[in-house]
Amino acid sequence: MTAFETRPTDPSAAADRGDVINVRGVRKYYPIKGGVLQRVTGHVKAVDGVTFDIPRGSTVGLVGESGCGKTTLGRLISGLLDPTDGGVYFGMPAAERRRLDELMTLPAEERTSQQATDLQTLTDGYRIDRLNREQRRAYRRNCQVVFQDAFSSLNPRQLVRDIVGRPLKAFGEASGDALTQRVVELLEQVGLGRQHLFRYPHQFSGGQRQRISIARALALDPEFMVLDEPTSALDVSVQAQILNLLHELQRELGLTYLFISHDLNVVRHMSDEVVVMYLGQVAEAAPSERLFTATKHPYTEALLAANPSDDEDAEDAEDAEDAEDAEVIRLAGSVPDPANPPQGCRFHTRCPVAVASCGWEVDDVVRVATEEGASLEGLSDVERRTPFDATLRFESEPLAQAALRMLRSDGRSGPMADAIIRLEHSGDSVDVVLRPRGDVPLVEVEPQHRTSCVLFTEYGGYTA
Amino acid sequence: MVDVARTHAQGSLTAGRMEAFRTRALRWGGIVRDTLRNPTTAIGLAILTVIFAMAIFAPLIVAENPQGAMQMPRDWGAPNMPPGSPDHPLGTTPQGGDVLYGIVWGARTSLRLALTVVGITVLIGIAMGSIAGFLGGKWDEMVMRLVDVFLSIPELIFALAIAAALGPSFGNIILALAVVFWVKYARIMRGQILQIKQNEYVDAAYVVGESKWNVYRKDILPNSLTPIVVQATLDMGHVVLIGATLSFIGLAEAGLAEWGNLVSEGQSGIAAGMWWVATFAGGMVFLWSLAFNLVGDGLRDVLDPRTERR
Repeated sequence: MTAFETRPTDPSAAADRGDVINVRGVRKYYPIKGGVLQRVTGHVKAVDGVTFDIPRGSTVGLVGESGCGKTTLGRLISGLLDPTDGGVYFGMPAAERRRLDELMTLPAEERTSQQATDLQTLTDGYRIDRLNREQRRAYRRNCQVVFQDAFSSLNPRQLVRDIVGRPLKAFGEASGDALTQRVVELLEQVGLGRQHLFRYPHQFSGGQRQRISIARALALDPEFMVLDEPTSALDVSVQAQILNLLHELQRELGLTYLFISHDLNVVRHMSDEVVVMYLGQVAEAAPSERLFTATKHPYTEALLAANPSDDEDAEDAEDAEDAEDAEVIRLAGSVPDPANPPQGCRFHTRCPVAVASCGWEVDDVVRVATEEGASLEGLSDVERRTPFDATLRFESEPLAQAALRMLRSDGRSGPMADAIIRLEHSGDSVDVVLRPRGDVPLVEVEPQHRTSCVLFTEYGGYTA
Repeated sequence: MVDVARTHAQGSLTAGRMEAFRTRALRWGGIVRDTLRNPTTAIGLAILTVIFAMAIFAPLIVAENPQGAMQMPRDWGAPNMPPGSPDHPLGTTPQGGDVLYGIVWGARTSLRLALTVVGITVLIGIAMGSIAGFLGGKWDEMVMRLVDVFLSIPELIFALAIAAALGPSFGNIILALAVVFWVKYARIMRGQILQIKQNEYVDAAYVVGESKWNVYRKDILPNSLTPIVVQATLDMGHVVLIGATLSFIGLAEAGLAEWGNLVSEGQSGIAAGMWWVATFAGGMVFLWSLAFNLVGDGLRDVLDPRTERR
């Protein structure tokens, strides 16, 4: 096992060792079918253009509310799902990764035939959904997953020996007594033992089951593991044991982790880098401490504010004092429909510090008016030309005039009012035009610190 | 468990095989014990034991008919004998058929019918349901439309039509029932697979490099079978009931040692007070169906994952 021997054990040297995984513009859309003919009427955009790297030997945390696409992304990276667009690259040397990024920034029509061939070669050589049989096997062996639910991730009809020994059998590594011997070693590595070999999963507690899961993931001696909320179903005390075990294993074996969780405390404890997701996109990505202390996205701040942090940490106490002085950002409203995500910055519908250029659209006009109780009375039809340009039809002219007055004299929805560039009424209809806005790109605003918030990428920050 | 741990500590890995066997045996032992603990299930099993013994040891109870074992012997000199007659302990039919012979050898017929039909339909049903549920997509569409066609016709009418079209023979009854009954299993299997597929252990199996076929064989199939087992048990009774109905209306060979056939022969005598033929034969059909229903319900309780003892 040369891969194992060359694996350095000191994680501080991570930067020099390249990346295990490079995610590039990954999208996963699920079709929504409707009607008798089951025609596709739209798509749920579970993951919508995500790019980040997982450096060898490090832990990258992936956080976000439930439904933000983090589990889908985990499944894409572990090869359980194929992306709709973009790709996940595995084991790419740094030079080749740079070449790939360079080639991908070129629009397709501007590439020379040589460049197109190079891109094809890189894709076929490293993208996990394009690998040949042998490469795919190597990837499969090196990328393992620990699932969230320790109760459903173990086959209830298999004995522990068969569960943990299964990867070895599937890869033809061992059988019979040799397999049993190896399984015992794996069990001992995760704090279990020989006496657990011939039991069924239901004879174990949640924490023990998760240990069995980890032993199975370790069986093929992988270099990379996707940990999909591995502790969220466990008691707090057991949680800590499992996290410590994962930490130790990483130190001993030089493992690389993608740690998916909704629990910020856990992510902070585990991760070297953190990627914050919102509605299928990356909102902010930075080295762990920077993300928690020098936050550069209001969504991350809102998550931090909603996070019950432990007071024993002096830094946290300081943060709490600051938070009392400044206005705490709180998450209001519900997560928008991922089948029809907001234009511009996806967070603008819930963002407390949003500005006019965040991507306000016609849907926001209708929604905000409704939320504020001043419903657009008698609104019969919305005729959209673009998301930013529409005619609102009312049942009668006085109702249209009332709506116009309401939209003009709007109080709390300041930034949206600023984004309206035309508001005209003729007869029973009102024309609304807002400032158009494309997707907000993820920009590196400080070394290794990327955010998609326009306040940082275009205005140089904000004061809460 | 302490002594087991010590065995392993001594390093004997072959002892592991014993231990694996022991764990599995304990699990099955637990299922059997739970099944027997339910009194109604125990009654059902007792009835079945008696009937099965009757089928297996038929030649020891009533001597085999030299004209053909599955044919009721005719004693033309003694029709309509009441039960208790010296040569015919359960009496005879209006055609002089020996009721005891019909009952005892009829148990064999029923067992053959039930095992063949349920065996064939379970296999076809599992195969079709697996194609639909596991392969999905186009395959699912094809299988399920076929299933819809079959389900749109009542099963008794359908079986009757097929058996009638093929001509009166017991083999044709088996064939007709097999054609009709697989649909249920296909539907159950498909539903089970769609549900089992959602479990993370299926994903986990793919992640450790297992092939699709192995995932089906080791993860999907064993975890999908419980409701099939329960349904098959219930159908062991149901099939005999429908088979008896078909042979009652004359779709089996005349004179076959079969309970439905026997009821049919005896029906002409009922009005004249000759109750025994239809009563004994009908009673056997009733007992058979009842017993399998009791056992099937008991198995459902024991095997249901929500109630299975942890």
